[in-house]
Amino acid sequence: MDTLKAARILEAGKSAGADFTEIFVEETRHSSISFSDKKVETATAGTEFGIGIRLIYGTDVLYASTSNEDIEYLIGIIVKLAKTRSISSQNQNLVLPDIIARIPSQNILIDPRTISQSQKLPILKIADQTARSLNGKIVQVNARAFDSVSDILIINSEGLYISDHRVHSRFTLSVTASDGKEIYTGTETPGAGKGFEFFETLNPIKLATSAGERALRMLSAGYIKGNKMPVVMGNGFGGVIFHEACGHPLETEAIRKKSSPFTGKLGSKIARDCLTAIDDGTIPNSWGSINVDDEGTKPEKTVLIENGVLKNYLSDRIGSKEVGVGLTGSARRESYIYAPVSRMRNTYIDNGKDTFEDMISSVEEGLYAMKMGGGSVNPATGEFNFAVEEGYVIRNGKISVPVRGATLIGKGHEILPLISMVGNDLEIAAGMCGAASGSIPVTVGQPSLKVDEILVGGR
Amino acid sequence: MNIIDAADFLNDKAISKGIKVFDILGGISESTGVEVFEGKVQNTEISYGSGIGIRIFMDGKPGISFTEKLSSNSLNQAIEDAISNASITDSMEIELPEKKSIEEIDLKIYDSSINDVSFDDMIKLGMQLEKIAKNKDSRVENVPYLGVSKTEGYSVLRNSKGISYDRKSNSISAYIGVTASQGEQKKMGFYSNSYKSFSTFDPEFMSEQAVTRATELLGATSIKGAMYPIVFSNRISSSIISMFLSPFYGEAIQKGQSRLAGKVGEKIASDVLTLTIDPHIPGMPGSRYFDSEGVQTQKMDLVSQGKLNTYLYNLESAYKAKVEPNGFGSRSYSGKAGTGISNLFVNKGDSSLARLLRAYPECIYVTRLEGGSGCSAISGDISIGVQGFLYKNGIQIQPVEKITLSGNYFDLLHKIEDISSEYSDSYSSIKVPDILVNSMVISG
Repeated sequence: MDTLKAARILEAGKSAGADFTEIFVEETRHSSISFSDKKVETATAGTEFGIGIRLIYGTDVLYASTSNEDIEYLIGIIVKLAKTRSISSQNQNLVLPDIIARIPSQNILIDPRTISQSQKLPILKIADQTARSLNGKIVQVNARAFDSVSDILIINSEGLYISDHRVHSRFTLSVTASDGKEIYTGTETPGAGKGFEFFETLNPIKLATSAGERALRMLSAGYIKGNKMPVVMGNGFGGVIFHEACGHPLETEAIRKKSSPFTGKLGSKIARDCLTAIDDGTIPNSWGSINVDDEGTKPEKTVLIENGVLKNYLSDRIGSKEVGVGLTGSARRESYIYAPVSRMRNTYIDNGKDTFEDMISSVEEGLYAMKMGGGSVNPATGEFNFAVEEGYVIRNGKISVPVRGATLIGKGHEILPLISMVGNDLEIAAGMCGAASGSIPVTVGQPSLKVDEILVGGR
Repeated sequence: MNIIDAADFLNDKAISKGIKVFDILGGISESTGVEVFEGKVQNTEISYGSGIGIRIFMDGKPGISFTEKLSSNSLNQAIEDAISNASITDSMEIELPEKKSIEEIDLKIYDSSINDVSFDDMIKLGMQLEKIAKNKDSRVENVPYLGVSKTEGYSVLRNSKGISYDRKSNSISAYIGVTASQGEQKKMGFYSNSYKSFSTFDPEFMSEQAVTRATELLGATSIKGAMYPIVFSNRISSSIISMFLSPFYGEAIQKGQSRLAGKVGEKIASDVLTLTIDPHIPGMPGSRYFDSEGVQTQKMDLVSQGKLNTYLYNLESAYKAKVEPNGFGSRSYSGKAGTGISNLFVNKGDSSLARLLRAYPECIYVTRLEGGSGCSAISGDISIGVQGFLYKNGIQIQPVEKITLSGNYFDLLHKIEDISSEYSDSYSSIKVPDILVNSMVISG
């Protein structure tokens, strides 16, 4: 979008009485190739394109999204939206865009658009062959490699006019094992804010072995007897518990509606001294990192909880205003279709001092949740649930038999103070997070940690 | 250009490139809506999206591409992308359907009266819902989620055998999420529904439902873990059925990812369960005469009195199984064809909900499911947090929370003992009454 068109939209926003007008233009090129049933099953490529226009009145939002870039159409929508407002503020000091500033992006070595899809095939085939050669019980392997390249423009009525270039690559693998009666699937899903170099450095043999062996182990696993018990959670994707149970309720989008258990708790002790939690948008080339957030704010490393004390929320422009905290560069959206709201980036519990061995040996009867599956939370009540993809019984301080079908449930603010030991083997893992502004790439992470008591669903 | 012109453009371009087998799917979606919070319109949205995709087969090798930019440059790029993608996939010989003319009645999935609903109407309804909810019960704390919106969708399908179908649908929806608290305990109650006309909304009823669903769970505690008979409320029973639909799909069978493989003609559930698919019911949201690959849809009993009759196929899985496709192709313009249903019913039984609740000396009436991550359609594992009520001899004893329900879906199907005669009022393509399962494991 050129400055002339942008200026017309911004002027229309001002005439509509908005305090603030913002334009978000996105063009994303997606490509994907999948291997399943020992075949190259699908190859797709396409272009997502559209414009989002946001008018803010105080903290009220009018938002329009469209894939139609005709300027008269865009002005028309603004007029239509503005008609819904009975009061307008007329106090905007419009600064028109001048020269575009390019946001420095992550170091991308190989632009995926310059690569033929067929170059991603070898890793898919190696993953398939590796998993199938593990054991005759492996009945299916689905492997998929996909990437996206987005060119974004963010323009606003305060004179911001920036462009951003975003590149993401991901590999997903699911390996299904069956013994004729039971079926179980193991998954591995790494991703990065990188170009084709991501696929070049992947180790499909290691990933396929890991997913396949997990499926085989869990296929013959028994079920845990459900009860309240101590749980040692594995590092890496185990961080999904913090993401769901605490991360979402720490977004200003939940706080400003006074619907989070952490509302009004800044400065309070909400966890033990061993717990420090961070949301960092700046980790180089991480799947959850951003060059700039979707309102044009530079991301930062935000300390959420420090030694058990609540330090900060994750904010966007409106949340920052309503809740009275600074901008953290956390405004995010899936695409032009959504207005941005405060969201997580790379969220993790920081390293502590305990060792994994000490955690396990401290548990008489409990669960070692080695790898977590997905989960969800109701931010208003803090009630969370999530699934254990690979679990083991801990008995008399030792890891015992594998168990499947375990679910952990509870309330985030009640579980947080029960985290009593934190290890020093921090890892982060890629995932997709869904909320009000769509599905976005994030990472979750933690070292191994021990929760003194949590309800484990089982049989 | 508009979506029809874009479809014509792709069609002509594909032919001129010598592509003999292809189909084109285009879509437009439009929605407008408001969100209300504390007596103010907090968000107002207009969204208009369009896009088109082409799937080609060159010597049986599929290539897929799409674009949301409807310029000739972008559409040409889409053709090039599809050709390039078709050069690397493995072949799958499928036969695209021929054009069929059938006698159609109006499926009533589009109502022009919705066009007349203005932002003001939606704002007024939103404000009303919030006000009613706040005054309903002193324990109501807040209404953090409240929105009213209308959506309209249009899709067009073309294929190289001359098919040209389109489908237009719309609806108007409202949702309300209320938090209520008592002491330290906080509960959320949620109600949403969609209709074909604005006048059908009953704000008093909707707000009351949301408030009741929050307050009825206040005072909930955990209970001792044990085996219990479970009554799944019709508010959530359709979620259980929909989480476990993929085992019925031909593609899951073929990929070794379904425990229903080899079970056609066998009993997979108790006698009381009959699952009917009916794509031709006027006013149901899933109603359609053709699936998204252009195959004619048909009414069928998927399961009758516990016996599995068939699997659900799209073109590809039907070809692999060497059967006629039966109308379950499901696809958006941007991706591969998967499998999906139109309208699905668990047939009603004769009993009232009250009768289900008093069938055993003690049971858990489950009214809320917490997430589905512990449920796997592949393994059938169910491990899920639930909330609801403990009943003794048909009498409600107390609300329960912090409990989990465990079992396996394929065992659960055999343990269904009774099905009520009541569907919930939701505007949904999956209708399931209350279901009594004779025993499942509760952990607390």
